[in-house]
Amino acid sequence: MSFLVRQIALKSSGEEIVRPSTIEGAELIIGRDAASAIHLPDLAVDPRHARVKQAADGSLTITSVGELAFDVNGRSNTQATLDPVVGAELGFGGHRITLSRDSETGLPTFTVRRVEAVSDSAEDKDVTTAYTLKGLLPGKRISAWSFAILVLIAFLAFPIYSYVTYKPLAMQEKARRPDSFHADQTWSSGPLSAAHKNLGGDCQACHTEAFVAVTDNACLTCHTKDAHDHIADKSRLLKARGDPTGMAALQRVVATAFNRPAGRCVDCHTEHEGEGAMPATQEKFCADCHNGMKGRLPDTKIADAADFGTAHPQFKPMIISGMNGAKPVFTRADWSPSLQENNGLKFTHGQHLSKTNGIAQMVRRMPGQFTGSEALDCKDCHQSDSTGTRFEPVEMEDSCQSCHSLSFDQIGGTFRTLRHGEPEQVVAELRSFYRGGAPARPATLSGLARRVPGDAAARSTAADYARAVRFYPTRAEQAVAQVFSNGGMCYDCHTVTRGGTAASGGFAVQQVAQNARYYQKGWFDHKPHNKSDCADCHTQATTSNKASDLLVPGIDGKGGCRTCHVGGDGAKLTTASVKDPVDSSCAMCHSYHMDTDAPWAPKKDRKKDVAQTVAVADRPRFPVKLH
Amino acid sequence: MASIAPKKRTGASRARTSTHEGFLRHNNGFWGKLSAAIALGLMALYIFVPLPGQHFGSSWLGYTLGTIGALLILWLTMLGMRKRAITPGRWSLKAWTSAHVYLGLCLTVIGTLHSGFHFGWNVHTLAWALMLLVIATGIFGIWIYATAPRALSANRYDDEGAITEKQMIEAIRSLDRQIHDAAQTLDPQSAALVNLSLEEDAFTGSFWNRVTGNYPKCATRHAAAELRLIRTYQPRVGDDPADKVDALLTRKEAMLGRMRRHLKLKSWLQAWLYIHVPVTFALIAALSAHIVSVFFYW
Repeated sequence: MSFLVRQIALKSSGEEIVRPSTIEGAELIIGRDAASAIHLPDLAVDPRHARVKQAADGSLTITSVGELAFDVNGRSNTQATLDPVVGAELGFGGHRITLSRDSETGLPTFTVRRVEAVSDSAEDKDVTTAYTLKGLLPGKRISAWSFAILVLIAFLAFPIYSYVTYKPLAMQEKARRPDSFHADQTWSSGPLSAAHKNLGGDCQACHTEAFVAVTDNACLTCHTKDAHDHIADKSRLLKARGDPTGMAALQRVVATAFNRPAGRCVDCHTEHEGEGAMPATQEKFCADCHNGMKGRLPDTKIADAADFGTAHPQFKPMIISGMNGAKPVFTRADWSPSLQENNGLKFTHGQHLSKTNGIAQMVRRMPGQFTGSEALDCKDCHQSDSTGTRFEPVEMEDSCQSCHSLSFDQIGGTFRTLRHGEPEQVVAELRSFYRGGAPARPATLSGLARRVPGDAAARSTAADYARAVRFYPTRAEQAVAQVFSNGGMCYDCHTVTRGGTAASGGFAVQQVAQNARYYQKGWFDHKPHNKSDCADCHTQATTSNKASDLLVPGIDGKGGCRTCHVGGDGAKLTTASVKDPVDSSCAMCHSYHMDTDAPWAPKKDRKKDVAQTVAVADRPRFPVKLH
Repeated sequence: MASIAPKKRTGASRARTSTHEGFLRHNNGFWGKLSAAIALGLMALYIFVPLPGQHFGSSWLGYTLGTIGALLILWLTMLGMRKRAITPGRWSLKAWTSAHVYLGLCLTVIGTLHSGFHFGWNVHTLAWALMLLVIATGIFGIWIYATAPRALSANRYDDEGAITEKQMIEAIRSLDRQIHDAAQTLDPQSAALVNLSLEEDAFTGSFWNRVTGNYPKCATRHAAAELRLIRTYQPRVGDDPADKVDALLTRKEAMLGRMRRHLKLKSWLQAWLYIHVPVTFALIAALSAHIVSVFFYW
């Protein structure tokens, strides 16, 4: 009995070399040991791995010598009985042994072939990629595509989807998107101002149309009442602004090319600038139009204005020019130091404020009655209103009557007074007084009463009575005339004419009107000025003895606004000498959307110096202006 | 991109002069100086140009910076196309790379000024952040390109001269063959250990193993250690095959160590690009969304 072993080796060219050998005996050993009949130089094979025995019928029994198994037809076994005629494939480590029957000799034949390389490194490597990260990381191309598509979906497609979903809600004041996340919020360039905070994620409240710049209509959907038009005629507004030149012209061209028309609300009211209030507008925007506007808009009635310190026209106070019945007629007049306003009263500011005359003496005699103890003060008559901005009208009863008494009779401790403001009542009162007020005839002079004997007492009484009657002013008309004429109570303060009805004794008192606000177009507030003396601005008050003198200051001159107020950047005229300059931009007194109230300023800034509340760039700017 | 400068033709000297000039020093740092000047100029404009107090990005200067920045990003991205065509001269790839590096650095200034320092959780800041991420990985890349080649060379050189990547593989193969032969007479337990080392692929390991150069499950080291442990209490015989296997395994370990250092340096050279390039495309996508959103909600 014998076996045929065919060891197959590969040439480097890939050609096979077969080394056959015949093993005598009925048994052979397969192993790594060089003494084995089938020697497998393979570290995965035991030195004596398996024993092969041939039975009498020619079948082979293969048994593992140690614990290591071997493969038979792809399955792991430690023992197997095989028929060489049928054949089989055995696996030992990296070797494959094919069992067959040699056709010539009929011997069981083992064809041994190495199928696995000695080591992993012996296998072919692609040097160009082996040293790269290929296979260890996702490829650059695939990640580039994935990232890009992810970003486009999340930040482009999804927001557009949100926009399309809620498009029907645009331009409706009450309609709002539900309070939840909307993808187009990721497009917001910054938080909305405090006033618009409630719009929150409702981008379409303002951005109504895709690729169309925010329109005024979007603003006016909600701002139906509080958006006071600067000028109703927008074409005049644009004309006043004039055609931009230089850089501004280029900007306009680019803006127009990108469908961004000029002159919209949002030109000034920029949003997404951060939480908090919108800042007030910069002076530059006013001067853009008002500086040299006459040249661009020849028919305008408004004078050119730019910087307050150097280029602001004289003020035009609204003064009372006459009366229409009980109503005053107001006219705007050019301010001048000698400007007069007739309000119907006679009043001597100078005399009343004097510190040396009889009025001052009277104040000194009545300590505690007046603000000061030496003389009258402005406050004794002029009371500021609840806001402190302006003054209440001077009331005769509160301010004048303590000195200019209207009393004409005393009953016990009570003074009877004439009624102020109603001449007819005054006349009626006097007439009534003289009708029923004659001295009563003493009882002793009548014939029926008991009397003291003798004539002496009766004579004395009769003499007293005769004297009382003699000296009692009996003529009411005379008293009426006295009151309304020079030296009389009314005449002291009022202009009295002889055009009245019989009810007022033929006298007429001129209507009085007090002017509450002289400057209607600009905003003047007394409150911030309360650290100053009244006479600092109303310089003529202590000397003027004519009630028609307009004591309101103008822009220039002594006490004029430019005494303290300089331009927004501190500019002033060479003629003005300013001790403590106050930078004053347009927004301090003027408002673009002008109403009857103070110029708008953000709530948090209302107590601050107005000059500092206008919008300033939130980036470092040079030259830095130090206040 | 080392090059051999042609010597004067009339000169007698045969000494070869290497005038290697990297992209950082290219053309006397022209692009670096230009970028610095641009950055300083733009900062001055940002500070001194009077503009209305609003979002800087929507002022004329802001739009200008944004346009420049967007176009610059696209141009910088084109290096990926340009690098596949290597040309010499003024517009050489080196010049292009130099410009890419320095203008890319300048982009931090352009992009940040364009933002006007207004940041928020929105697509605009996303684009800015992606841009910075790309530039940061780029800076890392520059640093690696400046330092890794020297380390690579140092690793490849030894007493016997330099070794190439192919030779590294060959050296391992040779050692494996020798180990295989020497281990034939070992007992099954030791042979199995040695076989583990042979079956180990030097290029396996995760990305993490590569970039750290740390392979805690190295079969060769494990085999060497275990074999020594087995032999510790065995009597010494004159011609122990385990001695030879041990020596060979030690040599293989050293070779693997060098190869892994090589792999580590090579992976550093490449890894940053796996962020730099994909994030660039994410940036271009975010940039597109940024631009579209601005005009969409105009």
